[in-house]
Amino acid sequence: MSSSLRPYLTCVRSSLTAAMSLCDFASEVAERHNVPEIESGKTPEVLLNPITIARNEHERVLIEPSINSIRISIKIKQADDNEILLVHKFTRFLSQRAEQFVILRRKPVKGYDISFLITNFHTEQMLKHKLVDFIIEFMKDVDKDISEMKLFINTRARFVAEAFLTSFQ
Amino acid sequence: MAHQNPAVVMDNGTGYSKLGFAGNDSPSFVIPTTIATKSKNDAPNTQGPPVPSKPRGLSAKDGQTDLDYLIGDEAEAVRGLGYDLYNPVRHGQVDNWDHMERFWQSSMFQYLRVEPEDHYFLLTEPPLNPPEARENTAEIMFETFNCAGLYIGVQAVLALAASFTLNNLADQPLTGTVIDSGDGVTHVIPVAEGYVIGSSIKSIPIAGREITSFVHNMLRERGEQITTKNAAKIKEELCYVCPDIRKEFMRFDREPERFQKYTVDRGRGLTAEIDVGYERFLAPEIFFNPEICSSDFLTPLPNIVDGVIQSAPIDVRRGLYKNIVLSGGSTLYQNFGRRLQRSVKDLVNQRLVSKGGTADSLEVRVISYNRQRYAPWYGGSFLASTPGFTRSCHTKAEYDEIGPSIVRRFDLLTGPGM
Amino acid sequence: MLLLDYHNPLLKTILKERFVKPAAIDQIISDFDGVTYHIFTPEVKTKILISISIKCYQDLLQHGAEEVLKREYGSYITETEQGYNFSILIDLTALPEDPEERNDLITRVSLLRRHTMAAPFEKAISIQQSLSAEAATDPSVTTKTSEVMTIRYRDEEAIYVQASYDRVTVIFSIVFREETDRVLAKTFMQEFVDARKQIQMAPHVMYRSDPPLEIRGLPGVPEAGVAVKKGDIVYITFVFFPMHIENKAKREHAIEHIQTFRDYFHYHIKAAKAYIHSRMRHRVAHNLKVLNRAKPENEMEEKEKKTASGRTFKQT
Repeated sequence: MSSSLRPYLTCVRSSLTAAMSLCDFASEVAERHNVPEIESGKTPEVLLNPITIARNEHERVLIEPSINSIRISIKIKQADDNEILLVHKFTRFLSQRAEQFVILRRKPVKGYDISFLITNFHTEQMLKHKLVDFIIEFMKDVDKDISEMKLFINTRARFVAEAFLTSFQ
Repeated sequence: MAHQNPAVVMDNGTGYSKLGFAGNDSPSFVIPTTIATKSKNDAPNTQGPPVPSKPRGLSAKDGQTDLDYLIGDEAEAVRGLGYDLYNPVRHGQVDNWDHMERFWQSSMFQYLRVEPEDHYFLLTEPPLNPPEARENTAEIMFETFNCAGLYIGVQAVLALAASFTLNNLADQPLTGTVIDSGDGVTHVIPVAEGYVIGSSIKSIPIAGREITSFVHNMLRERGEQITTKNAAKIKEELCYVCPDIRKEFMRFDREPERFQKYTVDRGRGLTAEIDVGYERFLAPEIFFNPEICSSDFLTPLPNIVDGVIQSAPIDVRRGLYKNIVLSGGSTLYQNFGRRLQRSVKDLVNQRLVSKGGTADSLEVRVISYNRQRYAPWYGGSFLASTPGFTRSCHTKAEYDEIGPSIVRRFDLLTGPGM
Repeated sequence: MLLLDYHNPLLKTILKERFVKPAAIDQIISDFDGVTYHIFTPEVKTKILISISIKCYQDLLQHGAEEVLKREYGSYITETEQGYNFSILIDLTALPEDPEERNDLITRVSLLRRHTMAAPFEKAISIQQSLSAEAATDPSVTTKTSEVMTIRYRDEEAIYVQASYDRVTVIFSIVFREETDRVLAKTFMQEFVDARKQIQMAPHVMYRSDPPLEIRGLPGVPEAGVAVKKGDIVYITFVFFPMHIENKAKREHAIEHIQTFRDYFHYHIKAAKAYIHSRMRHRVAHNLKVLNRAKPENEMEEKEKKTASGRTFKQT
């Protein structure tokens, strides 16, 4: 793990743990409704200040807490065309399976690549520290995966090109 | 353009995949749905490790291990030679999408030699396939292969369509009971006006494999040395359905020529003769008297068919009885259709009489036709060659706009009658 | 599978079967790049008619396709079937006796597409050779190039072939409709260009997104600088030197190999996508596992367990 990644992740972890103190909250706008306040945004007094944690200009995390829900958005490093493509493919693939991922938001928040939405119902059913673990692990893996896939494309391309051209000798 | 590129029809079954072009009367390739991938000796538990620490394919530095695979007969040929064999389809449903994706890839580029961007595709699915499986299929077909258009048809409905073309009755409604018996499992599927009545489907754990092993066991008990492969051949060539077992036993005693000899190849140029006797008619008899082979499944096929139709909505039952369609390799036994028709009719008549009706007032008809073996493929080929086909497909552009959920719904394909 | 076959395996299997046991047949078979075969027994089942329809047939005719086909199929050529470009008729009762010759015939027929498309390449090679012979005596020939032969083998794509005294240039124009493919293709093409560093003997490869000099001004080629929609179309150029085509075997191989280039390229882009997909599937499965760890244990136990036949039971 590179030296700047560790403090970055530690910072995200502690901020997340702190931000993820959620409780049940009935909607004050519509009767008998219970909606994630961070999504509806109709009761400004229950929204907290969003936090951005940035590692550099390409990689950052946005945490938007509220009384009963919290939204975490991640911007993944994208240096060139191949990485942009892979990140796009990967996040699309994930959001396709949002159903299984429960806490995954189908659409990322604008300016980010992938968003999670955790509500008080999730924290009631699942262990909070493990949820934080999941987010951290996800961030750790995603970079590794993207760079490995990029490497794969290059190796494959070279292999394919050489195989075709060798044949002319 | 002088020629429209023909649509590609692929029917990936549990045992065999049928690949070909629309409009043809038979699939171009019938190959086992098997994929052989290079064994990884270094990984002790190859069965789905949770993302190996070494990225797969990159560990070998050359980035091409995932290209080293074979499908179909070529895969069967390398069994045990440093390759692992997998069946991507299990019980009619896709089990391993990685393998399936590569299986399709090879089907297209190596076997059919089509550029998927230039062709429409018709794929089949079993009844009650979960919509997620459809979406996965669409994701692969559109994102990996960029295929021009895709239609996914239910096998039972396609089999029904296949039976029509024979009768030249294009304007028939797509209503009927399909008995689909392949290698792994037998399904009885009622279809009303093109829609499968999901709640009434019944499956029977008796199919080709059970019959083969029954023949195999009977022969072995008599002391014949025989492989399963040869037992399957005997089954296909010599077995038939008899009208009545008791009489058939007596006939065998009267007419010794009914006992037949079968020559098997023992390899290295040696052959051996095997006596084939009662198993000729006993094996397919399992469908009608399951107790001779199984102890926990005892309902005969005709009773299942009758039960299925009785559980369907009352207004379609008449159509279901009138059009019982056979599909798949295990329905090819001689006289299978006739025996089934008689037995179902008996059941219906009994009920009619007991309720005070008159016998034979309800038409029961089992339809046998010569494309039975590859019925879903043939039905697909026929429908995909009709002019309305491309309109019923979802195109790449539609997929890009709406996403995989688009394949949850397809227009009903109907014959030229529409 | 790494390289694509040159022949059509289906034609091969069908013929092999029919040579042993004649049977009636009427099938339409498709091949890459919109090539369609019709294999048909019009009268009796011992007479097989094989017709090919290929988009660029008119182009090919201009460059001597007829001679090549005559050379390859000779007496088998028959009246062209309505709606197709070229037909051959095989009489199964009059097959050559020698099994070698029979196999050769099967192979030749299954290479129908390759032979049909071979003419411009052969022509270019022979021009190159005559020019190079002339150049030995007359240095002015070195500046001479042959006309550019255009093979419009797909609706939007074409192959251009040109010869000069020391090289044969083959240019492919390839369209990528998908953004994903375009990005991947770029990486791939770069490697094709770089591969020459590894393989000394390889033909020279270049790619660019505006038409190369050789083909500018030809009908159907967009003006340089007039953006079609940038990135949509790429031009990839192969330059063959005399050493690639010095003898017959090499020439034949170069011709059939370069023909598969476009489909080879597309095939591998798709294979790469398939691999990325399988990586992502693994990753998703892994992520799900991590997420499920967050669920407390007791939930799992109450799950109903079912046997294969759908019965349920309680563990005691």
